[in-house]
Formats: sequence, structure tokens, C-alpha cells
Amino acid sequence: MAAGDDESGVREEFLSEAQEIVETLSRDLLLLEQSQKDGRSDPDLLNDIFRAVHTLKGLAGMFGLPSLQTLAHTLENLLDDLRLGRVDLTQDTLDILFNGIERIQRILASDDSASTHDISDLEESIDRVAEAVPEGRDPLADYALGESVLGVLTEYEEHRLRQNVQQGLPLYRLRVSFGLSSIDTALEELKTRARPLAELITFLPSMGGGDEEVIDLEVLLASSHELEVLREALCTGNAVLEAVARRGREGRGPAALMPPSPARATEPTREERATAEPATTLAKSTAPTAGVERVGADALSLRSVANTVRVNIQKLDHLMNVVGELAIVRSAVSQITERLRSHPELRYLSTELHRIARGFERNLTELQDGILDVRMVPLGQVFDKLARVVRQAARDARKDIRLEVKGNETEVDKLIVEELSDPLMHLIRNAIDHGIEHSDRRKELGKGTQGVISLTAYQKGNHVVIEVADDGAGMDPARLKKRAIEKRIISEDDAREMSRDDLLGLIFVPGFSTSEQITDLSGRGVGMDVVKTNISKLGGVIDVRSEVGKGTVVQITLPITLAIISALVIRVGGQTYGIPLANVQEALLLDTRALRTVEGREVMTLRGGTLPLCRLRELFRLGDTHYEQGRRQFVVVSQLGARRIGLVVDMLLGQQDIVIKALGKSLRGVRGFVGATDLGDQAVTLVLDTPAILEEVLASETTRRAEMLS
Amino acid sequence: MSKLTSIPTMVPGVMRDADKGRSDDIVYEYLAFKLGGETYALPLAGVQEILKPPRITRVPRAAHEILGIVSVRGRVTTVIDLRRRLRVPEGPLDKNTRVLLVEAGDEVLGVLVDAVLQVYRLYEDEVELASAVGGDMNEYVYGIGRPRAVRTLGRSTSQDRNDPNDILILLQAEPLLRR
Repeated sequence: MAAGDDESGVREEFLSEAQEIVETLSRDLLLLEQSQKDGRSDPDLLNDIFRAVHTLKGLAGMFGLPSLQTLAHTLENLLDDLRLGRVDLTQDTLDILFNGIERIQRILASDDSASTHDISDLEESIDRVAEAVPEGRDPLADYALGESVLGVLTEYEEHRLRQNVQQGLPLYRLRVSFGLSSIDTALEELKTRARPLAELITFLPSMGGGDEEVIDLEVLLASSHELEVLREALCTGNAVLEAVARRGREGRGPAALMPPSPARATEPTREERATAEPATTLAKSTAPTAGVERVGADALSLRSVANTVRVNIQKLDHLMNVVGELAIVRSAVSQITERLRSHPELRYLSTELHRIARGFERNLTELQDGILDVRMVPLGQVFDKLARVVRQAARDARKDIRLEVKGNETEVDKLIVEELSDPLMHLIRNAIDHGIEHSDRRKELGKGTQGVISLTAYQKGNHVVIEVADDGAGMDPARLKKRAIEKRIISEDDAREMSRDDLLGLIFVPGFSTSEQITDLSGRGVGMDVVKTNISKLGGVIDVRSEVGKGTVVQITLPITLAIISALVIRVGGQTYGIPLANVQEALLLDTRALRTVEGREVMTLRGGTLPLCRLRELFRLGDTHYEQGRRQFVVVSQLGARRIGLVVDMLLGQQDIVIKALGKSLRGVRGFVGATDLGDQAVTLVLDTPAILEEVLASETTRRAEMLS
Repeated sequence: MSKLTSIPTMVPGVMRDADKGRSDDIVYEYLAFKLGGETYALPLAGVQEILKPPRITRVPRAAHEILGIVSVRGRVTTVIDLRRRLRVPEGPLDKNTRVLLVEAGDEVLGVLVDAVLQVYRLYEDEVELASAVGGDMNEYVYGIGRPRAVRTLGRSTSQDRNDPNDILILLQAEPLLRR
């Protein structure tokens, strides 16, 4: 059994690592696509992607997933061709890459690791792309680069050189000398300084002045910056920078790049030194750059991996429990402190204990904050997935759509992020399917042909707001009304009393769908209600604003963490309960004069509206209590979508931040509670599931109404 | 983290003398407790802890035999009243009342008992399976234990004296969770 656990642990580790790689890959591919559209080439990005696929291949081999390994290998080959310029980065190539990632994801998601996945079609399309070899006049011919230079470039370097020249970037040559002992760090430093300004294409050792302790290098670089700017940034010490002359132009002087001295490599003393000092391998080979860079980048990524720890969220839950226990210890200690205080002879002990308890409390708060912080992950994790969905869905719907993402870095609890992807995916698909118009239609309307969906996240106090907005057709309240009446969701009488917001809220009612045709993506009438339920489960609320012709904005407000929520603590029938504040609209004194009975249900009039009431004492059968009749009672108003309910309670005890803990399986069948919490000094307190209570009470009302009719 | 050490139990050395030649027999270890005048026992391996009854929070609309929930080191634990399940008369809580934390399936349940007695080690021939006894046995009952001799050490209390007619109703933890 232990072995099995081990194995599944290893597998889980692999899956989560692979998943991480795939997510990074998707993000990078999208960036790559963007750069391709902008006509830029981004070799670093391409290299990153290549490396990621390579790592994935290695992982797959290690964990015995042959189909994943083959797939990764195929993609790796394509990426290598791209890197080396053997294949052009086109929309078709990108499609293949996106498709490949999609399949990797599918393989990872399938339980059966041994099953084979047919990738022959992918291979075919790669072959097709590969045949379309880039053509054209060699742009390098423009530059005064001797064959002696071109001849020693690696395939990759040559490709990069070509790419840069094709983009019209001028070439520069930097002559620099490094001491043998410090070349390692000095070179690294030079790269760091140069990277923001220029691409370093190659490092070639040049003829030195005979000093054996010094290596002279010629660095070929391409940059869009002026010579002066580069000089300022790069020329320290003995470095000399000049532009590489173009053929057929006058006045620049013969600044042809010097070929490396062939004698150098065979010089015995250098050879010996080179083996003795790893850093000087650079001087030994004429084409080491790509290799050196690779090693450098790999080392970098290794370091960053070693800095992070993957932790099962349950372990953090456990730590949170321990913190909760400590909080109870703390309150016990402060009670003892109070007791000691009443004994004059022990007063000094009390003071001492109080001081210690304060320090304890401070550290405890810090610990709690720390654990919560660890649970936080950036929303970018789910946004990246959505970006892929938009791309695919937009193509399927044959619409031209751009996704704008803001607030990628906004952090929320890991559990919330997990639960968010489905609702957000649905909202986005709705926007693509029903919101954004086709390009021709947009043109007619005088809008830009490209539709824009924006995904925005930001923090607002203890909450995170996520907005999904589109600049599409918007929703017409009149149409929604008509539809709802047709579907008998509301009566004509109801409809007359409904405000514009109420009408928009109809989209969250189960069974409501306005799309005339059902598509693959949405319009099946299950969706928005599920979205709403899922968001409510997370303690969040969802709002919709829409303007005909201008677009729709769906706004989701979520608590930052599920682990700690604000709750209203109430008392009813001698029992204490917590109500998540996210579900509470307001709390007010029960005015018995406002009570009415409508069809056997108690309601109250609140600001001209009718609020159905639920006496928690009766719902929970709290029976006879010491609570006398005629004393003041309170109503806690809770809202779910367009429906509201007033919970009648005996006392409002106040607001408190609580940690919700799940109830055991043995209480699965019990409705009305999301969990329980420790309020510190007292017995564990149940936390109400107000949406569920609302559903239950209002549903029973409908049943009763039906019974009365029959 | 078991707090079972305070319960009188057997010393292995004594065992060997008393039960020579029986080492091949299957041995069951049970924790015995009082419930409505009867002596019941649960497999010792499944009992994690014995607690003095903490303050129990009632859960409205839960099944009748569920007393409520308690917090055990931050974990919310359901407490059931075995008396209600086994339909034995309920007595008031007193200083002997305990809550056993019992692993039942994949949940740890609190089980309220009138008093905890001792650990019994039973040999196979001291256990009659419920199926063999027949009759209208409760589904929680695994069998009947008939310990032949006193094999316990520790404080000499009245509970240590074994009446030959004493029987243990052996329960199984797992079905406690069902329904």
C-alpha cells in the first residue's frame, strides 16, 4: 500500500509539473503569436518554448508516457526548425503548435497513461509546413562580413543574423578584452547589459596582442539603437564598438569583421589552459555561443525551480487548523490572566503573562497571514487557460476577436482559482457566441471589425473583482422579457413590475436562454444559472450590466480567500450561528406591524417590496426556548439573484472573521449549513448556507402553492 | 497521539504463561465500554482517542442518533449517540461519560459512551460471530466475546473482575457511518 501511495504521489508530482509547463507553454505561444502578428521575432521566447517542450519530453520519458514523449518530440523538432529558421513562423505553424499543446493537455487529463494518441495528422501538417522553405535574396550579402566569419557561425547563429538583418536592424561589432580568470563573470555581465538593447549574435575570439592572460573577443550584435546609445551602455574599460560596414556604401571604412585566427585554436599553451580552466572553453571553439547560452539559461531555470515548493493544499488547511487551535489557547491564557489580576498578590504574574500573551497573539496573526499568503495564486493561472479558449472558440465561431487581459497578477485563494475556470469559461463563451457580432455586421454598425473581450481583475478591499466585458451586441431587456414570458418563467403581471436590472437578472434563472440557435458552445439554457450557483458557492456575487449595441459586462465579486470569511454572528432559539457576510444584504429590526401573511407564508413589507420571511427557529425546529414572546427580533436579509429572503433571528451578536471548516460525511444529508467554525472560547458554531436555505424555503413555497391550486 | 495508556491493559509476559501453545490463534483486541447497562466493545485499532465530552453543538435536522458536532483540535467531528442507534435506554451524562474517536470508513466519528472499561484481548475461540449466533442481531454487531479468564493488570477495580457469565457485545466501526 505504501508503494502504491508512493507511486501515485510521484505521478501526481509529475502531472502537476507537466501541467505547469503546459500552462507556461500556452502563455508563451500566445505571446509568440502576438509577436508574429506585430512582425517582430522573439528568439528568446522561441527558445523558451523549445526548452519547455524539451523538458516535457524528458519528463514523459521518465514517467513512461510514450505517446506524450512522441508528441513532444515531434513538436520539439518543429520548434528546432523554427529556431534555426528552417521553417517560417506563420499562422499555420502556430496552429500546429497550439494544436500540439491541446493534445498534450488531453494526454495529461486522460487517466489511461498507456493509451496511444494518434498524431499522424499533426505530423503531416508539420511536413507540409516544413516544405515551404523560406526563400528570397540573401540579405546578408549587404554586409561586409567575410566568408571567414560566416563560415564559423553555427546554424542557429547564422539564422539569427539573417533574421536581424531581414528586420533591417544594423549590425555592430564590439571588440573587448577579458582577463582569463574573470572572463566567466565579465561575459555574463556584458550579456546582461546588452540584452535590453541588442541581440548578441556571436562571440568570436580574435587575434590577441600576445598576452596570454587576456582573451580578446569580437562580439557581433544587432540592435535598433543608435551607436552612441550602445557605446554608452556597453563600452566600459577597453571595449570598442563600431558599426559593421555595408557593401556598396562609402565612407564607413573597412570595418569588416575580423576572422578568428586559425592558429589560435591549435596553440598548445592555450589549449592546456583551456582544459585547466573551464571558462576558457570559449576560446577553444569557434562556435560555442549557443551552447554557452543554453547552459546559462538552464542553470537559471533550475535555480528558480529549486526556490519553489509545491504543497498539497490540504497540508495548508491542516496548518490553518493548528492556528485555530492556538487561537483557542490564546483566549484561554487571556482568561487566566484576567483571573490572576483579581488576586493582588499575583498581579505581577498577571502583567507578565499579559505581555507574553500579547507577543503570542502578534506572532499568531503573522502566522495566519503567512499561511493565507501561501495559498494565494495569481489569477493569471486561469486567465491563461481562457486565452486559449478564446482563440479556439473565436475561430470556431468565425469571428475576429481579441482578448484583453488586465490584472493577471491579482491573487486569490488557490481553491477559488480552481473553481473559477468553469464559470469564467462559460461567460467568455457566451460573449463570443452571443455577444460579439461577425465582422461584416460590426462594420455595418460602424464598430471596429475586431471584437474585443476584456478580462479584468482587481482587488477591492477583502474582495477580488473580475469583469468579463465584451463590446458586442448587448442584451435587450425587452427581448429578455418577451422570452421569459414565452418560457413561462415569469407572468405578464410579474414582467410589468420588473425593473431593467430585474430583467437582466433573468439570464441567471434556470432554463432561460435567449439564443435562437443552439451552438456547440452555449445556448443550451444551462449555463448562467450554473455560473451563478458556482459563484455563490464561493461566497461571491455576480452582476450584469448591458447596453444594447454597446456590449455586456459581467462582474464577479469574490472573497480573496475561502479560508477566512467575514460572518454575521446571530443567536436564535438559544443557539449561535454564523451567516457569511457575503450573503447578507442588510439586517434590521423586525417590525411586527409590517408582517403580513400571503398564502400561508409570512412576509414583511420592506421599502415597498415584499420580503418572504423564514423563522430560523421553526426551520431548525429549535423548539421551546427561553426566548419570551414579544421581545425584539431581527431580520437578516439575504439575496440570491433576483430573490430575497429575510431570516428571523433573536439577536445579532456582531461581525467576526471566521475560518470555515467542512462538516463530516456523516452530515452530508443535512441541508442548510456550509460548515462550522470555532469562535474561540465557545463550542463550535455552525455556519448557515443561506443560498441553500433560500432555495429550500422558496421552493417549498412553490410546492405549497401548487398543492393549494390542485 | 493515543491517550489509551491510562486504560488497564494486559502485560505480554503474563499472557505467554497463561496461554502457552495458543500463539497460533488469532487475537482480537477490543476496547470495552458501558452503554445503557450492557458491555460493548469496539476494535482497539480503530479507536484513536478517548475524550471527556466536549461541548457538543446540536445540528438542526440531522439524524436522530447524531448528537451534534465538536471541534477536536480544529477538526469538526460528528458525535453520535450509540444508545440511540442500538436502542438501549439513555442515561444522563455523568463524570464517567466519554467520547471515543473512532475511525469509521473514511471519517473519524465521536461515539458517546457511558463509561470506558478496559482493553480485552480475545482469542478466536472466545468470539462467536453474529452470523453463528443468529437471531435478530443489529448490523453493527460483529459478534459476542466471552473472555474466559481475567488477563488484565493494573488497578484492581470491580471492572477487572470477570464474571464467567460476562459477555462483550463486539461492534464493528464501519457500519456506524452508514445511512
